Amino acid sequence: MINVLTILFCLTLIYLAVTTRLSAYVLILVLQGALVAGVHALAFFSDFSWSHLIVAAAVLLVRTLLIPAYIVKIIRQLDMGHGDRTRRYHPGFLVQMAGVVVGAFLISHQLSRFTPVNVIPFGAAVAGIAAGGLLIVRRRLLLAHVVGFLIIENGLFLLGIGVQAQMPWMIEVAGLLDLFVLVFLMGIAINQLKSHFPEADGAELTALQD
Amino acid sequence: MITIFALLVLPPIATVFAIWSSSARANQRVTLLAGIAHLLASLHCLVSQENPFPSGWWLAVDPLGGFFLTILSHTFVLVVLYSPSFLQRTQGAEYDHSKRLFYPALNFYLLANTLVLVVQQFAMLWVVLELTTFSLVPLIFFYRTKDSLEAVWKYLFLVSLGLVFVFVGVLFLGISARGVSDYTAFIVSRMTEAAPQLNPLWLKASFIFVLVGLSAKIGLAPMHPGDVDATSNAPAPVAALMAGSLRSTAVLVLLRFYQVVGRTDIQPFAQKLLIFAGLLSIAVSAIYIWRNRNYKRLLAYSSVEHLGIIALGVGIGGVALLGALLHLLFNSFGKAALFFMAGNIHRSYGSREIEAITDLQRRLPWSAFVWGLAFLYIVGTPPFGIFFSELFVLRGMIHAADWLSLSLFLALLMVIFIGMSRAMLRMLHAPSANSAPAVVDRERLNLSHALGFYAVAASVPLAIFQPPALFDSLHAILAAFGVKL
Repeated sequence: MINVLTILFCLTLIYLAVTTRLSAYVLILVLQGALVAGVHALAFFSDFSWSHLIVAAAVLLVRTLLIPAYIVKIIRQLDMGHGDRTRRYHPGFLVQMAGVVVGAFLISHQLSRFTPVNVIPFGAAVAGIAAGGLLIVRRRLLLAHVVGFLIIENGLFLLGIGVQAQMPWMIEVAGLLDLFVLVFLMGIAINQLKSHFPEADGAELTALQD
Repeated sequence: MITIFALLVLPPIATVFAIWSSSARANQRVTLLAGIAHLLASLHCLVSQENPFPSGWWLAVDPLGGFFLTILSHTFVLVVLYSPSFLQRTQGAEYDHSKRLFYPALNFYLLANTLVLVVQQFAMLWVVLELTTFSLVPLIFFYRTKDSLEAVWKYLFLVSLGLVFVFVGVLFLGISARGVSDYTAFIVSRMTEAAPQLNPLWLKASFIFVLVGLSAKIGLAPMHPGDVDATSNAPAPVAALMAGSLRSTAVLVLLRFYQVVGRTDIQPFAQKLLIFAGLLSIAVSAIYIWRNRNYKRLLAYSSVEHLGIIALGVGIGGVALLGALLHLLFNSFGKAALFFMAGNIHRSYGSREIEAITDLQRRLPWSAFVWGLAFLYIVGTPPFGIFFSELFVLRGMIHAADWLSLSLFLALLMVIFIGMSRAMLRMLHAPSANSAPAVVDRERLNLSHALGFYAVAASVPLAIFQPPALFDSLHAILAAFGVKL
């Protein structure tokens, strides 16, 4: 079942490559949050430790509810709802994303030959981390960068499953709080940029150079 | 108990008080009180080498932690003493909100950094390290300009991305210990004890990720841009805090991982990585120090250089590790003096451009005097502390017979010395474009000059007399890394 959820996670990455709308990005975050929470909830049935349920509930709350709701709020506040495209669609991005996903699974397969890793979750995690990085590089809008960062974080969450490394639940929850505060601060920064400097479209933070 | 109270209870109390109180004077006094209590507690830990926390906790102060706590609280107290004059001169309604947030953020910064220095659990270290980034956001964004906003954004983004790498490193560290120790506990001491049995492949991967990730926070090339932008756009006291203590805190986290790696067969690999990162940082800073036209960015690149020297010293090991630790301490002294004076110069000239600074000696004689001294200090002129710490690093390279690193190091230091001299001496001696510049208000000696002078001068007796209170602790740290001098 974990494999099914992580393959679905990879499909959201492909969707990420074919859409340019911010609202679709938020939907992807909600889906990924639910999938990652599902993976943690599944661990409860094999281990029966309450900590799995606590972490799954915290993931569900922060990643599928609080953070997406906050991003939607920013989109509305900054009036980015209409014409919310991060840039024009480019088929090359889809090819790159597909390459990233295939490459991640190849790496995972090779690695599994000499060390114990779960091939599919590990491959999905590496794909998530690389896809988030790709999104940051390919999209110029700051909000898209935040989404890219969150996708990297989702990949990181899966990585723990892929390499079968269990963190103490307190640290998982504290990490989620950190993530929420980080997104909150990034949202404030984007808000400040728009309200103090309305001429900036969120893609002009290039003044500081040597 | 009193030590724990001063380290971990007073800073949050001071934070809450500063949020609640609207009096800047009361906030400054409470913050100063918290800072002094923290400094005394840190010095107690450093000198006594006692752990104030009960054994078995995730929190502990070892000699390494005691040394870094002292650097943190000493820089903090200097910054709090300098802050009233800075806040007084930033007049205008646009700064009201920033001023309101200043002391709460400063106290929260102290708390967050203290947590990093006392936490002894690798995964928790990652969590609290992010708190130090959050605490800086309102401080870097103090001026609320587009530049400061860009600096905040880049800093938040790059450092957080770096911390993602650190988390991957923590996961890999856990995997390397699978079947060897209770890896889910991630306790520093247990990992260090079990180090020789860890899986070398995963440990190697872990160290690579941790080094790359922490480079953004430490300010090592090529992950330095976010840190340079933030330091150069932050107000003077905040820049001093970042250059003097925040980077040290991140170095401590790296040293915690290196403690584990240092007891395994992959130590030579980790040393090569650190030497490479150090030399690359010194080379990058040499290039940008030559090219720079902004004196605050110049100081930010000087930090990249000095953190590079520290990474190099850790990588070389032996007596160079002692040099690296001393360099951390002395760099925090020098950066405080330089950034305080940079703040005075910025207030008077309203510009950060080197070209715009003329007649400094006539217009700001006291600031120019301390600025000149701090310049001699930071380029490693005797008898200042940096000279001695660099000498230890050099000795380490000679002992290790690493002639390539030695020659590169000396050549790059020469380039940096000339580059810094060009800029600093120009600022001190360049005549005004007007033939007879009007000196409106001749600068008077004030607390900022005394603080700058103290910061520069205090290193001299420490380096020359090598007081046992400090050096016994340094030797205990070296012993933890397997170095006996």
